[in-house]
Amino acid sequence: MNLLIPLMVIVPILCALFLNLLHKKDRAIKTVTIILALALPALPLLANYGLHYFGGYEPLLQNPTLANNLPSFITGGALATFHPAITYSFQSAQQLFVFILGLVGLLALFTSVYETRRPSGVYAYMLFMGVAAMTAIILTDDIFNLYVFFEIAALATVGIVLVSNIKGNYETALKYMILGSVASPLLLLGIALLLGVTGNVNVTDIIYSIKTGAVDPQNPVLLLACGLIVFGWLYGSGLPPFHTIKSAIYSKALPSGSAMIQAFSVFTFIALGIIILRIFSYLPFSQWVILGVSLLAMILGITMAILQTDIKRMIGFLAVGELGYIGIGLGLGTTFGITAGLFQAVNEVIITALLFIGFGVVVYQTGISNTRKLGGLMVRNPWVALLVLLGGFAMAGVPPLNAFQSKLMLIQASIDAGFPELGIIMILLSIVTFMTFMKAFHTVYLRPKPADLEIKTETIPKATVISLVVLLVVCIIFGLFPQYVTSYLQPLATSLAGGVV
Amino acid sequence: MIDVQLGSLFTAVALIVIGIFATAFLDNLIKKIIGLAFIGDGANLFLIAMGYKPGGIVYIYLPGMAADWFAQNAAYPLPFALVLTSIVIGASTMAVMLGIIIVLYKKHGSLSASKILGE
Amino acid sequence: MNLYDMIVKKIKDIQGADDGPVTNLSTTSMLTAEITLIASVLVALIMLRQVSTVLMIVAVLVVLVVFLTSMPIMSRLKKEQNDSLSSMMFYVIIAMTVVIALFYWGNLNV
Repeated sequence: MNLLIPLMVIVPILCALFLNLLHKKDRAIKTVTIILALALPALPLLANYGLHYFGGYEPLLQNPTLANNLPSFITGGALATFHPAITYSFQSAQQLFVFILGLVGLLALFTSVYETRRPSGVYAYMLFMGVAAMTAIILTDDIFNLYVFFEIAALATVGIVLVSNIKGNYETALKYMILGSVASPLLLLGIALLLGVTGNVNVTDIIYSIKTGAVDPQNPVLLLACGLIVFGWLYGSGLPPFHTIKSAIYSKALPSGSAMIQAFSVFTFIALGIIILRIFSYLPFSQWVILGVSLLAMILGITMAILQTDIKRMIGFLAVGELGYIGIGLGLGTTFGITAGLFQAVNEVIITALLFIGFGVVVYQTGISNTRKLGGLMVRNPWVALLVLLGGFAMAGVPPLNAFQSKLMLIQASIDAGFPELGIIMILLSIVTFMTFMKAFHTVYLRPKPADLEIKTETIPKATVISLVVLLVVCIIFGLFPQYVTSYLQPLATSLAGGVV
Repeated sequence: MIDVQLGSLFTAVALIVIGIFATAFLDNLIKKIIGLAFIGDGANLFLIAMGYKPGGIVYIYLPGMAADWFAQNAAYPLPFALVLTSIVIGASTMAVMLGIIIVLYKKHGSLSASKILGE
Repeated sequence: MNLYDMIVKKIKDIQGADDGPVTNLSTTSMLTAEITLIASVLVALIMLRQVSTVLMIVAVLVVLVVFLTSMPIMSRLKKEQNDSLSSMMFYVIIAMTVVIALFYWGNLNV
């Protein structure tokens, strides 16, 4: 039994509870947060690959001592292969995802304790609980466990928005919860239909039942379940029609919180998307729906991003648009396409975190995020401007940074799969992304300073600059050595594309 | 007489439809929240109805029962565990939403959704 | 009046006076968004060639004509995607019915 696998979920929860107790003791919170946050990227590097059976035992086929006392109609048939426990599976792809999530969490926590006037134990609690929930979502093989942690992540997101003290945050949080409470029970309904038809909530066992014909694959109840689960997936990742509320959430949170929330959206997209592909990829329709929704997300997200005048909403809509690229990779269905999509997801998390923290410096210094009122900040912070510029280049896909490699792989994959139109649209929207980013950069840094702009705080905390540098270094490393990263993602992509469990 | 499981499923769907109607069309925030509670309850009722077995016994293995008779006759125990978790999640989400509404009421002085959330 | 001033005047009529001054930046942004939207939708429609070539030609021509006659689409699209709860609920319910209907009945013919 590999004990570090459940610890990857339990340790952040314990850290969260501990930091909540320490709320209002400023010195203690600062040091304890930084020490505990170091555990977040460290744990996945130390854990071994394998399966962990939470709250139960391994399947009866692998457990002869237990199977001896049971009647033969249980041990003789398919029941012996079923998983009685909540299975957490930790392979190379999950290691990469949890590491990137932990790294962004570490940097977000590091930035947040130095950027706020008084470090808040409650805010650290929300960030740690969100990281714990997302780790569980990435690792789990049980669809109801995913739903439980999905709800916990939604509550953590709402908590991050509520703590931020930005004007209008309570209204946005309430709208998000109302829309969520419509979409999540429908996801639960889809899970209930799957349970009713196949008798299992473990994804491996559901696939076994469908493949061996114990359940009719064209059963209309299964199709209805697929539709409902896809709808819940749209809510969790912030795809249309939920893109406006997701970008509003990004704009009403503190910059470190926005960096975490967008990481949550991307990893929910991947985790639930992988499960939908595993269970339902025998339906040709599911791939078309994923492609269609991703195309819609790309077009709506990036066209809306150009028109925004608030920098945080602009980056929020760009983040939604970039989700579409990941979806196209997953929807293509070939090994190369899925690898490219997952690589784009990893890059996406890092780049968007960099942009949120980078533009968050502007909000920290001046207190406003409206582009009509900003300008001329290049003179004051040239180094931060350079880091943000490189981050923007990374998002648009300028070589040799990481998004260039993943977007190139995506375009090649779409041409190989026989859809060159998708490649054309991806190139077009990358150009528009670059234009949007340059527009934001120009209005904040390059144009002359308006006379009534007052700088509230002169100095930028070193922690923010260190976070930006670390994220940029990761971008450059992933851009120069993409094969290193894709070697982690290849096994998962091969198993998804081949239709094997 | 309609089968217990089928009746539960129809009731669950009816609850969900009424809940979506209430959330979308009613103006008072508290009524919207009650609609959301209906949707959650409908989903939970659907989930527990998946565990129904006609003539099934409660899934508690008492001493003195034969193992295979128990395995053949017990109702399906998994949905009960799932529904308990789901009810707790629904309750905590409701609590957070009602807390937010208290703060918004103090700020705006009214419970009308078009005034507070409309813009 | 040259073409640029005509475009600025048209954008000002549509946006009204509520957004503040119509700067060069916002005009450029609106034009870019418009062109991007039309180009992406038309290129995406070319993917219909997998279903049938005639359908693709008809769809591209129809959508092109619709776009050109109702040219300032982006401002209307931006106003539609606002932050009010009622419009978001409307789109959520429409998306839910479309997704469920597509999966339930679409799979019978594909």
